[in-house]
Amino acid sequence: MNSLQYGWRNLWRNTRRTCITLAAVCLSTAILMASYGLMDGLMQHAVSNATNLVVGEVQVHAQGYRADHSIYKALNEPDLILRAAKQKNVAAAPRRYGYGLVAVGTKSAGARFWGVEPASERTTFDLAQHLQEGRFLSETTQRGVVLGQKLARSLQAQIGYEIVVVVQAADGSLGNDLYTVTGILKAVGDSIDRNAALIHAADFVELFVSGERIHEVALNSRGMVSTEGLTALLSIAAPEEEIKSWRQLMPEVSDMVNLFDAFIWIFGLIFLLAAGMGVMNTMLMATYERIREFGILKALGATPWGIIRDVAAEALVLAALGTVLGTILGLAGSYYLQEVGLDLSIFAGTYSVGGVAFDPIWRATISPKMVFIPVVLMLIIALVASLYPAALAARLDPVKAIHRP
Amino acid sequence: MKIFSKVFNKTRYLFIFIAVVLLSHAPVRAQEQPLTPRQILDKVDDLFRSKSSQALATMTVTTAHWKRSLSLEMWSKGKEKSLFRILAPKKEKGTATLRSDNDIWNYLPKVKRVIKLPSSMMAASWMGSHFTNDDLVKESRMADDYTFEITFSGEMQGQEIVEVTCYPKPDAAVVWGKVLVRALRKEYLPLSIKYYDEELLLARTMTFSQVSQLGGRLLPAMVAMVPEDKPDESTVIHYKKIDFDIDLKDDFFSLRTLQK
Repeated sequence: MNSLQYGWRNLWRNTRRTCITLAAVCLSTAILMASYGLMDGLMQHAVSNATNLVVGEVQVHAQGYRADHSIYKALNEPDLILRAAKQKNVAAAPRRYGYGLVAVGTKSAGARFWGVEPASERTTFDLAQHLQEGRFLSETTQRGVVLGQKLARSLQAQIGYEIVVVVQAADGSLGNDLYTVTGILKAVGDSIDRNAALIHAADFVELFVSGERIHEVALNSRGMVSTEGLTALLSIAAPEEEIKSWRQLMPEVSDMVNLFDAFIWIFGLIFLLAAGMGVMNTMLMATYERIREFGILKALGATPWGIIRDVAAEALVLAALGTVLGTILGLAGSYYLQEVGLDLSIFAGTYSVGGVAFDPIWRATISPKMVFIPVVLMLIIALVASLYPAALAARLDPVKAIHRP
Repeated sequence: MKIFSKVFNKTRYLFIFIAVVLLSHAPVRAQEQPLTPRQILDKVDDLFRSKSSQALATMTVTTAHWKRSLSLEMWSKGKEKSLFRILAPKKEKGTATLRSDNDIWNYLPKVKRVIKLPSSMMAASWMGSHFTNDDLVKESRMADDYTFEITFSGEMQGQEIVEVTCYPKPDAAVVWGKVLVRALRKEYLPLSIKYYDEELLLARTMTFSQVSQLGGRLLPAMVAMVPEDKPDESTVIHYKKIDFDIDLKDDFFSLRTLQK
């Protein structure tokens, strides 16, 4: 009979106590898993919202562009960047930017014009689906504009409205034209909501007389290539340009992600400690009850190591059983949280933290990591917790132990 | 707004450029008695002012990326109303700006629309120049907003000049930390106005040259504005013709005239 079988049998000598500890381990594991899933879900929601919507995982600009947004600071060879991305099967969107004035009737406001290629935006980002009203630009759109939410509101513009745009073109002339509002974005982030006016790249070139100038290429592999991988790829394709990851482009989101990570670990530690105490208590009691048994075992020639092994194995079996049940429960709970989610809409509508919009339904994400980490940690904690009672048992004096009443 | 060059944030100063179209007349003549600093400032302010005026000018804007010349016709009445219309080049022909009190409207002939400038754009440049929209609407006098003293009087570069240094009054709504006006001592014609920011660093310099007879007055026909942080850039206004005290009705400065 090996230690594991021996442990298994011993566990069922006190069914009630074992069941209570089992329940504690099981619940701890399940809660740990579900909360990890929820935190991970929130984190991924934040990151993917932040990156997939419009920013991307990595962006390339000309050196100094981000400081003053000058229309003259364009990328030297955007084609090389786009080609490099294509070779790696990473979606990329080239963008042109310029500033100007938009007016509807007597309302007018400053705007940042985005000259976008609708097809690239569609394949690279989710922005094209992130509309409150109307449609995104299409390849054939002419003189159509998609407005940020707050910009549209301040202009009191609606779908189909004609808006006047006035800009300082790159050649110094006054560019002006009439555009039709084809779409209004949902909330994205404050600056986009307030001033974004998206137009077709061809319209942009005509309006701003900007020629070949491209100010930004945003890459988005949707997690297929790591941020570091993308940065490395770009630093070969465009060594003289400024390459920034989403963590650098959106430090507030990056901070938030780090914070979530810390939360998960703190939560996890608390649950693990509680479960570990439970295991230790059970093993202490089990050892205490069986002092005479251990004395006899030792008298029959059991080595201290053998006894430690037996006690640890018992704890391990207990923890293993608990984590298996906990995993089943935790996965079931996480599945529910993934599919249905927690509806926070009674507390708030779409809310925004650090410029990232969140959905009011909080969903978990299921990942191998969320099973692996709690289970392994739980087993380690159970093992560690059993060492103290095991050491006590191993050091028993057989004669005294046998004669214990 | 960055586009229209953010060089001159929040200038709240009266420029000769606008002064062309502003306020009452004051004959410019050599004075026997040296003027007080206040009189000198008023003279500079009143240089181009009149009950009404009509002028033709070219505005040449040079930036690091382009250089272009606009030909302009301007009208003014009192200190509240003015109208500017671009005559050339072809792309901007007919583009016009109407200023009435504190509001500015632009007419865009290409799209046949009038748009009212939002207040957030007041600090933006006017027609791509180194002047801001705010420069167009400023109407108060230097002597009212600043305390001043003569800081130099004598010969400089072969000319008899007088220099007045102005510091803003604590409650004055001006953005400059200091303004330095240099004028010829004889005719009290301005030579230059230097604008310093709140840290007393030079922000921009306006210079006056080519004194000639315009509309019956002796005036500098060329006014140049150079931003300090971009010394290679400039906006130069060259007056070809000015008529003062012409007959202009108030309703000339209307949205209807703007769209002609």
